[in-house]
Amino acid sequence: MSLAQLKDATFEQIIYEDEAPCLVIFSRKTCHVCKEIVPLLEELQPKYEGKFGFYYVDVEEDKVLLQKFSLKGVPQILFFNEGVYNGKLSGPVEEEQVEEKIEEVLNA
Amino acid sequence: MTDNYDLIIIGGGPAGLSASIYGGRARLKTLVINKGTIGGMPNTTREIVNYPGYVNISGPDLMKDFKKHAESFGVECLKDEVVNVDFSQNEKIIRTKKNKEITAKAVIIACGSEPRLLNIPGEKRLRGNGVAYCATCDAEFFEGEDVVVVGSGDQAIEEGMFITKFARKVSVVVLHDEGILDCNKVSAERALNNEKIEFIWNSTIEEIMGEDNVERVRIKNLKTGSSSELNCQGVFLFVGMIPATNFLKNSGVKMDQKGYIPVNDLMETNLEGVYSAGDNRVKYLRQVVSAAGDGATAAVAAERYIEEMNAFNTNVLQSNKKVLLTFFNALNNESLEFCTQLEETNTELSESYKIVKVDMATKKSLAQQYGIEKAPSVVVLDKGQEITRLDCYGNKVNLKAQLQVQ
Ligand SMILES: Cc1cc2nc3c(=O)[nH]c(=O)nc-3n(C[C@H](O)[C@H](O)[C@H](O)COP(=O)(O)OP(=O)(O)OC[C@H]3O[C@@H](n4cnc5c(N)ncnc54)[C@H](O)[C@@H]3O)c2cc1C
Repeated sequence: MSLAQLKDATFEQIIYEDEAPCLVIFSRKTCHVCKEIVPLLEELQPKYEGKFGFYYVDVEEDKVLLQKFSLKGVPQILFFNEGVYNGKLSGPVEEEQVEEKIEEVLNA
Repeated sequence: MTDNYDLIIIGGGPAGLSASIYGGRARLKTLVINKGTIGGMPNTTREIVNYPGYVNISGPDLMKDFKKHAESFGVECLKDEVVNVDFSQNEKIIRTKKNKEITAKAVIIACGSEPRLLNIPGEKRLRGNGVAYCATCDAEFFEGEDVVVVGSGDQAIEEGMFITKFARKVSVVVLHDEGILDCNKVSAERALNNEKIEFIWNSTIEEIMGEDNVERVRIKNLKTGSSSELNCQGVFLFVGMIPATNFLKNSGVKMDQKGYIPVNDLMETNLEGVYSAGDNRVKYLRQVVSAAGDGATAAVAAERYIEEMNAFNTNVLQSNKKVLLTFFNALNNESLEFCTQLEETNTELSESYKIVKVDMATKKSLAQQYGIEKAPSVVVLDKGQEITRLDCYGNKVNLKAQLQVQ
């Protein structure tokens, strides 16, 4: 299943008001590394259904969000819990690294 | 459960997909195993202008055509990573990251190469915070800033020029003496005349520094040995490629020091039924067109090998009659005469044996398998099992006597 896309407004809602544990991948269509990582997250998503959210931001469409986190490249997976930024993973990552990080956020 | 194929191709770039087109067309049951996006490295290339038949096409578009072509011949693709292989038996075993075990009669290694890392302090830690490897992906994040590019090959110089569309200044760090770049002449000329590009010759970088984001790099001059610091917000590394053959480390496949696989004209590795095609083999030109050519050669060689193996199975190992597996040397008269005598003797014995002749010169591996060193030699097989060997150096009477005993 594809990841739900967040826009500037929905980002505020989900991350800071709902405060649910989740990850957000910042990505763009022309980035080949992103094309490897997005499907990896899509495959992982069902396993965490109801426990951990998976979202997607297109940096070309939402420059504001990009600037907010002063990101310097894609793809980057940002982790949040209780409305607080919990670190990120950059570049090409393995499935195990993402799972480890999810566990870390959930158990923090 | 294990799956069985005639031909497994590791890697779905230009070499692997071309091989699969030939494999599929030859009606071999063919599987391409590819981690990541099918198409391989061209997926990272904005434009390709030197693949025959296409004046200008984007890498991903070209590879879509390759893939479509392969699928039209019934080739199967599996998205997974090969992590381990066992090539010690006739049935080659492939194990993947998702815990699949798949076997094949022949295997083509076409896993290409991957970007080399510099392994310097800061490179890993600041990745995504100023350290980058892809200009198309990340150049835009450096609007109005200072960027350092390391390398001088086609990729470094072309990506460097792309970055000047956004950055204020691009400093290219080059190993060689002033004026010498590893890239093609057209790009070199353009880059040398680009006002936004500054070159730092005879140098490399030793460290990438910055708290949360890249703030500066330390540059080492290789001629004088002195180091200096340069402020920048981005570092793009294009320092060449290394073959992605690490997973073959304990497979018995011969590799050179860097991990490239040496092959002969047929793309055969040192192991029977195992071939290597494309960027991961020792070769002169690493391009899409040559990778495609390698793939075709490897697939045709693999097809012949599989055919011979199948023929050997039906003619020899499953034969109802006892088989005289006769090794001869076409250049040696004595061994040719011996073959004639053997045929005559068998006729006199009302064809009680099936004679299968093997030319030592072309079937070295079979000779090796049976430990044959000189021609003529005859191995007598019953239902595929060796029962004895003939003494080939007596006369015809002697030969007949030996055959009557069996
Ligand atoms: C920036 C750049 C620009 C280029 N421009 C051009 C150009 O303009 N024209 C041109 O002709 N050539 C160009 N090239 C070269 C060309 O891309 C390569 O020569 C060609 O892609 C080699 O094809 P290949 O099939 O051998 O390997 P690759 O294209 O590298 O494909 C190998 C595939 O195998 C997969 N793989 C690796 N290991 C495993 C494993 N263990 N299990 C499963 N799958 C695995 C990889 O994910 C990849 O998909 C360029 C290269 C670069 C880096």
